[in-house]
Amino acid sequence: MKKYTGKIIIIVAALFLALYFLWPTYKDYDLHHTIAGLSSDDSLQFVEKHESDIREARAKRIKLGLDLQGGMRVVLEVNVLKLVEDLAKNKDDQFQQIMKEVREEVRHSEESPVLLLRRKFESRGIRMSRYYRNLRDTNDDIYKFLDDESTKAIDRGMEIVRNRVDQYGVSEPSIQKLGGSRIIVELPGVTREAEVRSLLQGTALLEFKLLKEPDVTYRIAESIDKLLAASAGTDSTLALGVDSTLRSDSTARADTTKISTPEGEMSQEEFAHKHPFFSLAIFSQQFPGEALVADENKEKVRRILERDDVRRVIPNDMEFLWSAKTRLLGEGKRYFTLYPVKVNAELTGGVVTNARAQIDPMYNQPVVTMEMNTEGSREWARITGANIKKRIAIVLDNAVFSAPEVRNKITGGHSQIEGMSSLDEARLLEIVLKAGALPAPVDIIEQRSVGPSLGEDSIRSGITSSLVAIGITILFMGFYYRTGGMVADLALMFTVLFLLGVLAAFQGTLTMPGIAGIILTLGVSVDANVLIYERIREETAGGKTPRAAIDAGYSKAFTAIFDSNLTTLLTGIILYQFGTGPVQGFALTLMIGIVVSLFSAIVITRVVFDIMVDRTGLAVNFG
Amino acid sequence: MRIFGKTNIDFMGKRYIWYAVSGTVIGLGMLSLLLKGVNYGIDFLGGTEIVVQFRSDVDIGEVRSAMDKTGFTKAEIKTFGSDRNILIRTPEQGEGSIIADRIRGGLSAEFPTNPFIVQKEDKIGPKIGAELRRDAIYAVLASLVAILLYLGFRFKFLWAAGAVAALFHDVLLTLGLVSIFDGVIPHLNLEFNQTMVAAFLTLVGLSNNDTVVIFDRIRENQKLFRSMDLVSLINKSVNETLSRTIITSGTVFVVLAVLLFFGGEVTRGFAFASLVGICTGTYSSIYIASALVVEVVVRTKSKGKLID
Repeated sequence: MKKYTGKIIIIVAALFLALYFLWPTYKDYDLHHTIAGLSSDDSLQFVEKHESDIREARAKRIKLGLDLQGGMRVVLEVNVLKLVEDLAKNKDDQFQQIMKEVREEVRHSEESPVLLLRRKFESRGIRMSRYYRNLRDTNDDIYKFLDDESTKAIDRGMEIVRNRVDQYGVSEPSIQKLGGSRIIVELPGVTREAEVRSLLQGTALLEFKLLKEPDVTYRIAESIDKLLAASAGTDSTLALGVDSTLRSDSTARADTTKISTPEGEMSQEEFAHKHPFFSLAIFSQQFPGEALVADENKEKVRRILERDDVRRVIPNDMEFLWSAKTRLLGEGKRYFTLYPVKVNAELTGGVVTNARAQIDPMYNQPVVTMEMNTEGSREWARITGANIKKRIAIVLDNAVFSAPEVRNKITGGHSQIEGMSSLDEARLLEIVLKAGALPAPVDIIEQRSVGPSLGEDSIRSGITSSLVAIGITILFMGFYYRTGGMVADLALMFTVLFLLGVLAAFQGTLTMPGIAGIILTLGVSVDANVLIYERIREETAGGKTPRAAIDAGYSKAFTAIFDSNLTTLLTGIILYQFGTGPVQGFALTLMIGIVVSLFSAIVITRVVFDIMVDRTGLAVNFG
Repeated sequence: MRIFGKTNIDFMGKRYIWYAVSGTVIGLGMLSLLLKGVNYGIDFLGGTEIVVQFRSDVDIGEVRSAMDKTGFTKAEIKTFGSDRNILIRTPEQGEGSIIADRIRGGLSAEFPTNPFIVQKEDKIGPKIGAELRRDAIYAVLASLVAILLYLGFRFKFLWAAGAVAALFHDVLLTLGLVSIFDGVIPHLNLEFNQTMVAAFLTLVGLSNNDTVVIFDRIRENQKLFRSMDLVSLINKSVNETLSRTIITSGTVFVVLAVLLFFGGEVTRGFAFASLVGICTGTYSSIYIASALVVEVVVRTKSKGKLID
């Protein structure tokens, strides 16, 4: 018994792990099934009550590929040529002619457009500095500059797309860089193409908007609060959560803290009841004039702000804008910031000519320097002069990236923005400032969308065929190899369970070909068992004892099992590298399947047989 | 339970017949490929593709005339799983969803009483198509190289060569059969797309699986029966592993058949190709891989070649 305790522990541990990772998938299915069965009012209440459960289950469930859940996949590529054209100054006929020729060449060549452009200039004997940067720059310098800009453009494009997709509110969007010039965007559940196009293309809008005064803001927030408190009694859909992490400035702890307010101490629920808005949008002394909203409460607050009665309380010249990113505060919780800004922008982004993130040598702090064109500088001087000590929000596509305070009047258009907590934050601001001025022109080079009905059909046929395949295999193995076969069937169940568990654990994506991969794995995993059992039969026929036959079977069959599965694994790896989307899903399940099935076939069945033989001393029936 | 007792079939003796069979089928397949050309899917060609599901069955001829009227004369039209699911592919791409919109408009005009929903809509730029084509070729080549290296490591050169020859045989045979059956069986879509390439790579892996198992047995028998001649040795090894071969290949076959019939449209082509592949894979391990070694040995009159 002792010699296989270790193995049994591993197997049981693996089983529990698999179940643990698969639990969210079941929970997600269960929750959605329940919601579908409720009436629309009940379901809204249910959703609000179980919001965090729902979100967690969704986040940790097995990821379904777009071909199974429906949605859109778009591949964007930076139009380097357009970018290069936009960066040029003094564009004359000669320049246009050169661009025309380069555009033609780009169609047939795989080389970088910047390189082609350079060659064109050089073949005509014209210096690139005539149209780019300063007259003194050499062609090398300018080439490097243009190349650099095209690389940076992709980062700008990504940030713009990410910002817009975040605001659009797609669940589980995926935005990734591919190579140096492409962005892959996957939007599950989105099928309306027109919206997606506006989401992904078009110049980003950069605006500078003044923040409203803190006391004015607080008064408006108070009115909202009172309004909500008054209607909370009749409004059951306002299931409110409470956030106490920032309440007590010194020690932040869990739900038992009493909240001290000007009206005296009260408990969490009382506070939420009396001040429904303030309990979600926290106005703290630390950050005057803005409100902090916890990650999980953002949706609630957004809904509140969209209500007609709340809108009437907010003055016409003001709006609430969300921060683009969250802040980490309190006990490791993430918070969005809600900024009260003037609706009309003071300045729009076309005026920013350059921005750069760097470390200020004097204070060793990250700063962003910003330059503007002539008319921009003029306006900027006026605006900063009239608003000293006030804050100006830097807004890209309606999301606030920063809201620094105006220290003094800025003439000459050369500003320095401070207050970022890290160089990364500064770099992000640099990208944002440039995004408004210098767009990252992108082309859609690939676009695939799958409607939800096809996705459902695929899931259904996938599950059906999997179950039928498993059923047939189990029956056959049981009949042909008797007891041995039934043990192999057990191993097969483990294989499928572990395969799905690993997929869930590593957040791999399951696609329709992926399901085909699982089915194929069934067939392949049977092979290992067949090799072993046939061997055992041979050894037994040759006269070995049951114990010895089993030992011999396993050891002699091992090389064949190893060799054959390794080559299939190799092709799986190669396929994963070269494939995209659904095909990668297939390679993934195949690879995981092979590894897992080897474990089941060799380790699990072995342990079972060892126990059987040792316990009973009899031969195991291998048919 | 047993299907095969101790068998003693003279596999190698009958090999010439099987060379002829292989040769003929591959020949026919290549001819079909030449005449019909390769039926590339949108993955590799680029263009716009849209799959719609009508409420009731439609006649393909009417869809074609609808497309001609809309100006898509080069459109390819086929059914997608049933007579009310139609796949329309055309090489034009256009800006945004202009092409797809026009296709939809054309269909609405032609079938005012038969509404449809869009199940799938793809638009692939030419650059991407070329890249996917290139990547697919690289993938296949890389697999063959990887397997060759691995086999060369585990077995002596001649045997490794035999195994790789079997793989080439399988790929060519399956390619040919896919070409022959393309468009012949209704609702069976055998176009060449990424999933089909995955099927080919898979069958390469599976075929190799089978070959390696037989070679492994040959290796073991060579150590035990040093004086046996090569043909008898191979026959013996194949007979001994016959049970396993039939059962494993049979299981994979059944499982793939389930996928073919119950698995939905997207993976049908994959299932078909893999099905053909598992058959040729099993067969080629005996009649191509091992047979090749036999031919070489017989021709060079050497005593016998060690596998390891």
